[in-house]
Amino acid sequence: MRKLLLILVPAFLVSSLGIVRAQAPAESHSVWDGVYTEEQAKRGETVYQKECAACHGAQLTGGESAPPLAGGVFQANWNGLTLGDLFDRIRKTMPLSKPNSLPRQQVADVLAFMLSNNKFPAGKAELYRQSEMLKEIRFETKKPAAKD
Amino acid sequence: MLCKSVKKGSLQLVCLAAILSLLPAAALAQYHPKDTEWPSYAADLHGTRYRPLDQINASNFNDLEIAWRIKTDNFGDRPEYKLEGTPLMVNGVLYATAGSRRAVIAVDPESGELLWIHGEHEGKRGGAAPRQLSGRGLAYWSDGKEERILYVTPAFRLICLNAKTGQRVSSFGENGRVDLKLNDDQTISDWNDKHEWVPNTETGEIGIQSAPVVAGDTVIVGAAFREGMTPRSMRNNKGYVRGFDVRTGKRLWIFHTIPKKGEFGYDTWLDGSAEYTGNTGVWSQISVDEKLGLVYLPVESPTSDFYGGHRPGNNLFGETLVCVDLKTGERKWHFQLVHHPLWDMDISSAPILADITVDGKPVKAVAQPTKQGFLYMFDRVTGKPIWPMPETPVEVGNVPSEWYSKTQPIPSKPPAYARNGVSIDDLIDFTPAMRERAKEIASKYHLGPVFTPPTVSNLDGTLGTLTMGTASGGTNWPGGSYDPEKHIAYLYACNSCIEPIGLVPAPKEVSDMRYVAGVAGREVQIMRGPGENAGADSPKPPKKRPASQYQRLEVDGLPIVKPPYGTISAINLDKGELIWQVAHGETPDVVRNSELLKGMNVARTGQETYNVGTLVTKSLVIAGEAQVTTTADHPRGAMLRAYDKTTGKEVGAVYMPAPQSGSPMTYMIHGKQYIVVATSGGASSGEYIAYTLPAAGE
Repeated sequence: MRKLLLILVPAFLVSSLGIVRAQAPAESHSVWDGVYTEEQAKRGETVYQKECAACHGAQLTGGESAPPLAGGVFQANWNGLTLGDLFDRIRKTMPLSKPNSLPRQQVADVLAFMLSNNKFPAGKAELYRQSEMLKEIRFETKKPAAKD
Repeated sequence: MLCKSVKKGSLQLVCLAAILSLLPAAALAQYHPKDTEWPSYAADLHGTRYRPLDQINASNFNDLEIAWRIKTDNFGDRPEYKLEGTPLMVNGVLYATAGSRRAVIAVDPESGELLWIHGEHEGKRGGAAPRQLSGRGLAYWSDGKEERILYVTPAFRLICLNAKTGQRVSSFGENGRVDLKLNDDQTISDWNDKHEWVPNTETGEIGIQSAPVVAGDTVIVGAAFREGMTPRSMRNNKGYVRGFDVRTGKRLWIFHTIPKKGEFGYDTWLDGSAEYTGNTGVWSQISVDEKLGLVYLPVESPTSDFYGGHRPGNNLFGETLVCVDLKTGERKWHFQLVHHPLWDMDISSAPILADITVDGKPVKAVAQPTKQGFLYMFDRVTGKPIWPMPETPVEVGNVPSEWYSKTQPIPSKPPAYARNGVSIDDLIDFTPAMRERAKEIASKYHLGPVFTPPTVSNLDGTLGTLTMGTASGGTNWPGGSYDPEKHIAYLYACNSCIEPIGLVPAPKEVSDMRYVAGVAGREVQIMRGPGENAGADSPKPPKKRPASQYQRLEVDGLPIVKPPYGTISAINLDKGELIWQVAHGETPDVVRNSELLKGMNVARTGQETYNVGTLVTKSLVIAGEAQVTTTADHPRGAMLRAYDKTTGKEVGAVYMPAPQSGSPMTYMIHGKQYIVVATSGGASSGEYIAYTLPAAGE
């Protein structure tokens, strides 16, 4: 019973607070680990259509003034960097006409939507809005080999 | 004489240069650009992007080192991630546009030391500009005594600077500025809150990114607008071209790219549509034949890239190559490449002026690279096509209320150098399964050759017409390069920039157009680009299909069309023949690392980028990659590649920490050759990087 409690309590914290994460596995913490929630991505889509789509396109395919935000070309740009890099890039320089204007939570939500659009898996915890936490999440285009 | 005793080669050049530099500046009777300089955006006024330099060649290209780098982060109010400039190097100084407010910098070409910077602070008018950031370049003028730099700001002002100090020349225009939103034979206007079209120079849509052109004592400026797939209205400001006196800023002439009533071509806009239709500017690079006194204008699409129902008729001079007089702006000849444009085939780059020999006879030609992958060639004096361009019947579409041209001119020679239609055979074919999947996706679209018209987007029928060689196809703003010694044009092309063109009815609160570009089942998304309060007219969130369910034009993450994705072609202009064509650019990570292609030997595919500029020298064609890759040979970054210009064989490549985003240029100073290229994109903010050979002994 006690063992069960030890398992259940942390799980409760994760689901209710959405902040506390289970300990990261020893090796990797990347965009393949379910680092955002579907609910968050839905919120992010609303912000995206309002603030970003006029340049980047409703389907993230890009336009004359702005590159695509999904697909191989976009992913190649960020492969090997961290979500903190991408988050800060968005937060400080976007949208182009009024950079640094979106609150951190909205930027995190938009990033969650972008991850969803790029077919990275959703998980149980929302994407962080703190840059230093996001710096711990690697952006990797190659899906890691399945664990046993 | 003094230098003769010195050994031959670069040391002799250094000796000569040292002596020349001792001459007083007044000894230069008139300004004559040297072969070692890069005095104009495209190297020269003929659009060649060519320099006869060969110190950097196949034997040493791989040894290139970074000589200096300049980050443009602090030249504006924030870093920019889209640095598209080509610097100039004249009379011992390198000049470039840089930074988020399009400042001008003067830089020591050997060390990269900043000599001066000039930025115009344009407030709200700058923020509202349709084309922002540092733009593509600037122009230089000298009479042998005075030296000036001219450029156009995002807010559409022509600025004239003293090249030595970076200060505005007070005798030019109003204290060094000409407001291009004025004196334009039209009242620049914008929509107010009551949906009325009223005069407004602050937010009225017009601007430019390209460099002005200086020829003799005339400076010529075109115009650009927002992207035109989903215009807010059939009405817009017009993109006339103007020539100004380079000393005083006085307007010398204006060419109406949309004719006014009574002018030639007005009747190619039926129902009086020339009155309200706009755009139709020259946003790209203008070329000039100074000896002939002729200016070559590559004109863009009229308002609304893909639906022309509000502008019936052929729409002169949309998507037309126009030749005007340098002194008067009077039209000498013109040739419309696309009648009643419906495919966003803006003439996107500098016309190349080439003196060639056709069937044994010398011809002063002009060769126009295009998005549609045709190189249109004309006698640049008379406008007569070098080889026939027969009016060819094309598919007539069925979009309600549209007007169609039943024919389009199609060059018989040279052959198309990039894909400009879509057929099943163009689809991905690494494996039969992939081809089948691609056919399944493509079955929802209308396919056809070049000039297949757009369709209304229909969930039960076709989603649109699948195209290549349209919006971002073929050759775009960086243009091509031309070797005047061998008469060969080198053209980069996107060979895979696939564009689905479907039309949807536009809701009245979003646009007064009957149709705009869109996909059935989605709320209309007005594409505006920057310079607009993004929140003001935001569409409601989609009800039916979330973006995540949008069917991407890719198969297992790979491009839906087969390689090569991007190419460089060499075309002999004397014969109108393709000599060689290579895939340019490392195979993208997503293809190289694909589990599904493991074990297959996939030849280098090139990259699906639309904006790669080339440079041609005495022996090399040089172009960088515009896409980031991470390979076994280099960390995440891109390569600057050199090809033997005779064979197309790659002879060298050096690493760039970020993708090429501007076109490479080259110069020689004090006996040393440099290559400078603008890089930016993704995680990397703008940086000009200069390469040179290591010093002897290193």
